[in-house]
Amino acid sequence: MTSDMKSVEPTVVARPAGFAILQVVLIPVIAALNYVTGVVINLLKLPLFMDTWATMFGTVVAGLWVGIGGGFLYNIVMAFTLWGLPAWVWGFINVYIAVITWVLWRVGWVSIKQPAKLILAGIIIGVTNVFPVTLINVFIFGALPTYAGTAWIYAIILNQTGSTISAVIGSSIAAEIPDKLLSLIIAAIVASRMPARYTLRRPSPK
Amino acid sequence: MSSTALKILRSGYVRGNSAFHHLDGRTKFLFFLWISLFNYVFYDLYFSAASFAIVLALAFACRIGKIVLTVISIVALPILILGIIILGSPLGFPPNKTPLFGIILYGHQIGLFLEGTVYVSVWSARLAITISAALLAYLTTHPSDLAAIMLKSRLPYKFAYAFLATVQLIPILTNEMTTIYQAQVSRGLNVKANLIDRMKSIVVLMIPLTLGAINQTQTRAIALESRGFSAPVKKVMLRDPRFKFADYFMFCAMGVFTATFAYLISTRGLVPFMQGVEYLLPGG
Repeated sequence: MTSDMKSVEPTVVARPAGFAILQVVLIPVIAALNYVTGVVINLLKLPLFMDTWATMFGTVVAGLWVGIGGGFLYNIVMAFTLWGLPAWVWGFINVYIAVITWVLWRVGWVSIKQPAKLILAGIIIGVTNVFPVTLINVFIFGALPTYAGTAWIYAIILNQTGSTISAVIGSSIAAEIPDKLLSLIIAAIVASRMPARYTLRRPSPK
Repeated sequence: MSSTALKILRSGYVRGNSAFHHLDGRTKFLFFLWISLFNYVFYDLYFSAASFAIVLALAFACRIGKIVLTVISIVALPILILGIIILGSPLGFPPNKTPLFGIILYGHQIGLFLEGTVYVSVWSARLAITISAALLAYLTTHPSDLAAIMLKSRLPYKFAYAFLATVQLIPILTNEMTTIYQAQVSRGLNVKANLIDRMKSIVVLMIPLTLGAINQTQTRAIALESRGFSAPVKKVMLRDPRFKFADYFMFCAMGVFTATFAYLISTRGLVPFMQGVEYLLPGG
């Protein structure tokens, strides 16, 4: 008796069923996670914002568009409920963070297996984020000191340079670098604990 | 700040029978854009104060005055106080020339300058007006109307879903966060530890919350699909918002005021009412 052995290939799901709908459902989750982190920061009384970590996390586990969508939506909701119309432009910061996180993830820097690169990636995000933050601060908030935690840095730089824009840049550097660094580290740690079945994108190329 | 935002998101729509409640959501949103835009165009504290008084009066008429004042006291007031202390005082804001009042204490000048104080007040008032107008539009519009006007404004159905889902998810996730926080505290999480340890605590709070939230997305996706969310058909809404007489009246009023403002700009410039104050560009 002979039997034809049929070669069995592993099932490869290039684009799982309901992929698009899962992405759509994940966007509000990312936006809500950005918000809830604010509650955690309040509970722990930390001098940080941390309202972009979920954008980074969403980008890593579900793709660039989920990160962009979730981050931007968070700012839209906050603009309607608490921050007022000008705050929606902060959404562009989240878009920028999603894009740069995606680029750094693509080159393999957003991984807890490479802590040095992860820290460097966090610093890169923090430093480069200062420019869009300064633009928004100047044109939407009149370069006023908007955050009490760094107001003393703002005052010192203004006193020394006589320039509100330099003061905004200085206080942004002090606030953005630790904030984005910690956000990226938390995003990488949480992403590393995600079961593979919930990850909506292929593993990092490197 | 987050607890106030949470209260707003939880309460959502505030029922009422005011004329503003009966306006179409699009009219309210247009009013919010219109009054915010003109306050960013004019550099005039009197103009901003009058606009703020109008928006606040509308807010009280719609029974959301207390919420609006609470939010402004949390968001705009600290910026006003910090800004006046730093930019209004002789700390180096370049346009400062005209002293409002001042004393010399141990050889140091202490006081406030007109230019810096007005600059900070105008920018803070702009923020206060946009915040109040946004809350006015959001809290007086029923969520179903909000979704319907998004669709009528030709925004993608997925966007309307994502917006409303976010508003609903935030209180749910915050409640879960509170449960996880209490569980972790009962397991020995020290929230009064040093800064580094408190930073580490974020991870033990965020991992269970995130995994739980992601887990629920599967169920939510199935529920949506079972209701034909991505079916290739035109979506219909329970409510069908239409413009009424009051909306057209509001458009006319905004049109008349826009013409008046354009006339003011052409004849008096961007500082139409405040005498002796120069227009300052963003950043001074």
